[in-house]
Amino acid sequence: MFYREAGQFKSSYKEDQAIFPILQDRVGIAAILLFAYIAIPFVMSDYLIGAIMTPFLILALAAIGLNILTGYAGQISLGTGAFMAVGAFSAYKFATFSIMLGGAEATLPLVVTILLAGVVTAIVGIMFGIPSLRIKGFYLAVATLAAQFFIEWLLVKVGWFTNYSPSGVITAPPLVILGFEFNTPAEKYLFTLTFVAAMALLAKNLVRSHIGRGWMAIRDMDIAAEIIGFRPLQTKLSAFAVSSFFCGVAGALWAFVHLGTVEPEAFGINRSFAILFMVIIGGMGSILGSFIGAAFITLLPIFLNNVPPLIGWNIGVDMIAHLEFMIFGVLIIFFLIVEPHGLARLWTIGKEKLRSWPFPY
Amino acid sequence: MTYQDVKPGEVLLAVDNISLSFGAVRAISDVSFDINKGEIRAIIGPNGAGKTSMLNCINGFYHPQQGTITYKGQKRSAMKPYEAAAQGIARTFQNVALFKGMSTLDNIMTGRNLKMKSGIFSSMLWYGGAQKEELEHRRYVEDIIDFLEIQAIRKTPVGRLPYGLQKRVELGRALAAEPELLLLDEPMAGMNLEEKEDMCRFILDVNDEFGTTICLIEHDMGVVMDISDRVMVLDYGGKIGDGVPAEVRANQQVIDAYLGGGH
Ligand SMILES: Nc1ncnc2c1ncn2[C@@H]1O[C@H](COP(=O)(O)OP(=O)(O)OP(=O)(O)O)[C@@H](O)[C@H]1O
Ligand SMILES: [Mg+2]
Repeated sequence: MFYREAGQFKSSYKEDQAIFPILQDRVGIAAILLFAYIAIPFVMSDYLIGAIMTPFLILALAAIGLNILTGYAGQISLGTGAFMAVGAFSAYKFATFSIMLGGAEATLPLVVTILLAGVVTAIVGIMFGIPSLRIKGFYLAVATLAAQFFIEWLLVKVGWFTNYSPSGVITAPPLVILGFEFNTPAEKYLFTLTFVAAMALLAKNLVRSHIGRGWMAIRDMDIAAEIIGFRPLQTKLSAFAVSSFFCGVAGALWAFVHLGTVEPEAFGINRSFAILFMVIIGGMGSILGSFIGAAFITLLPIFLNNVPPLIGWNIGVDMIAHLEFMIFGVLIIFFLIVEPHGLARLWTIGKEKLRSWPFPY
Repeated sequence: MTYQDVKPGEVLLAVDNISLSFGAVRAISDVSFDINKGEIRAIIGPNGAGKTSMLNCINGFYHPQQGTITYKGQKRSAMKPYEAAAQGIARTFQNVALFKGMSTLDNIMTGRNLKMKSGIFSSMLWYGGAQKEELEHRRYVEDIIDFLEIQAIRKTPVGRLPYGLQKRVELGRALAAEPELLLLDEPMAGMNLEEKEDMCRFILDVNDEFGTTICLIEHDMGVVMDISDRVMVLDYGGKIGDGVPAEVRANQQVIDAYLGGGH
């Protein structure tokens, strides 16, 4: 199997600009999609699909959202969990409000509900993005942290958001599209997969457009970006808006598709950090990296729980938990210092090596 | 605002009696000069003379406390750098200010941002409007890449390029905006002879072929006297000489500033 572009001459800029300009990449993506759509639902047990695949995809979507903001536009955020919560609770409000208005039959179409939740989150994201015009780095991180705690607090305190549910827990309506109800874990997984794959494609298009270049320009050197004509206000706030839209949709999916019933605590500061780690480990400024990071963080605990016993190494449960933290810690420090582009970058370097292998010159 | 069209040889930008200070430091004091359309205008002077500050005033990055700037016959109010960019003023920086994480191609493409109009939704959908626009501008940028002879580094992240090439890419990014007035802050600093010759050639070609007005700061006197139409000399924030190269070279104050003064 050779990975190289030799012989694949691009005769136009259009071909050069295609989303996956190298044939092997196109084949690879097609194979992954086929595998995800056909093999996984047949091969994996319902339990594994529901417990691993669906949450992995949703978290990858949230990681794409954060990656747009932090990896592409360089604005750090610790409020991802809160933005997911905004998505989850606004989807809930839209669904229940439309039922209240018109009865169960008149409920908004599911996809519309989820997208509207994303729009609400985008608006909230813009509001919390306004400080980014004045403050950067550490101070911005603290400001988004404040957003995280404020939103969580608001959702717990104000009964309206949960329709005055005494426990503060909301229950998602059934997942119905055009009369078809998504019930089994495999069906829910396919629904999520479609949503996430489509949105990843949209994100990929956006980051390679002039809008994405504006974000990266602001990230790499904001003064130069402004001097060549990018408006700091529009550029930063559009990153907050798009990023929050993605996080909001991920939150709505988390509540409606993955958990079914959810409380604000599901979107706490730990969630924010987990997604930030996915972005750092997977690779800042990479859509693919968001998937790799999400896979890594979802799979590592499972790996640690299962593999040591298999090789006859019996370590206790708390040891595993410690080990998990240690591995994350070391990796994050490693990637932050040595390779900010994360695992995705290592993958690219590997590809570059392969491309010229076995004659590097 | 209505800007007049300026014919070659007429004043494109006029700076009148501007002063700029940072606290007690007086970076520019009461300087007036003008730039004619189509000329190559040099600003020279010892270190700390206020040359970069002057460019920063022209492109709206600094706001002088006194004086006025008139651009295309229109007195300018204090403006933001992106507004100056929108009016056709592009520049390069003394210390290269490229977007390090992006490729040469993407860096130069950012120079076209003001001409690209696709919104978020059409960019997300890509096929159709956004792709067409991208290709159109890509063609223009590829012409610049050919012109600057940097085809081989098209896809290289600029952070990995040697300094001389980075300066060239930065010029490309400024050219991509199709500026009316191009400000170059020491475009040849730190270059070897061959690189300097290339850069001179590019500057002259840009001026010649596109009629772009150029205002450049440069320390290499040989280069300045060779390529500029007129030279202004700053020292300690004040103007001490202005005219065609031969006049400036014969100006006693200028000779003193360069030879004496201990700069
Ligand atoms: N942002 C700033 N804050 C404070 N002082 C400044 C600032 N920018 C410039 N100065 C001061 O203004 C004076 C002129 O600086 P400027 O950078 O314009 O000089 P220059 O002629 O470009 O010098 P060089 O040849 O070293 O680039 C210097 O004394 C400098 O310290
Ligand atoms: Mg300077």
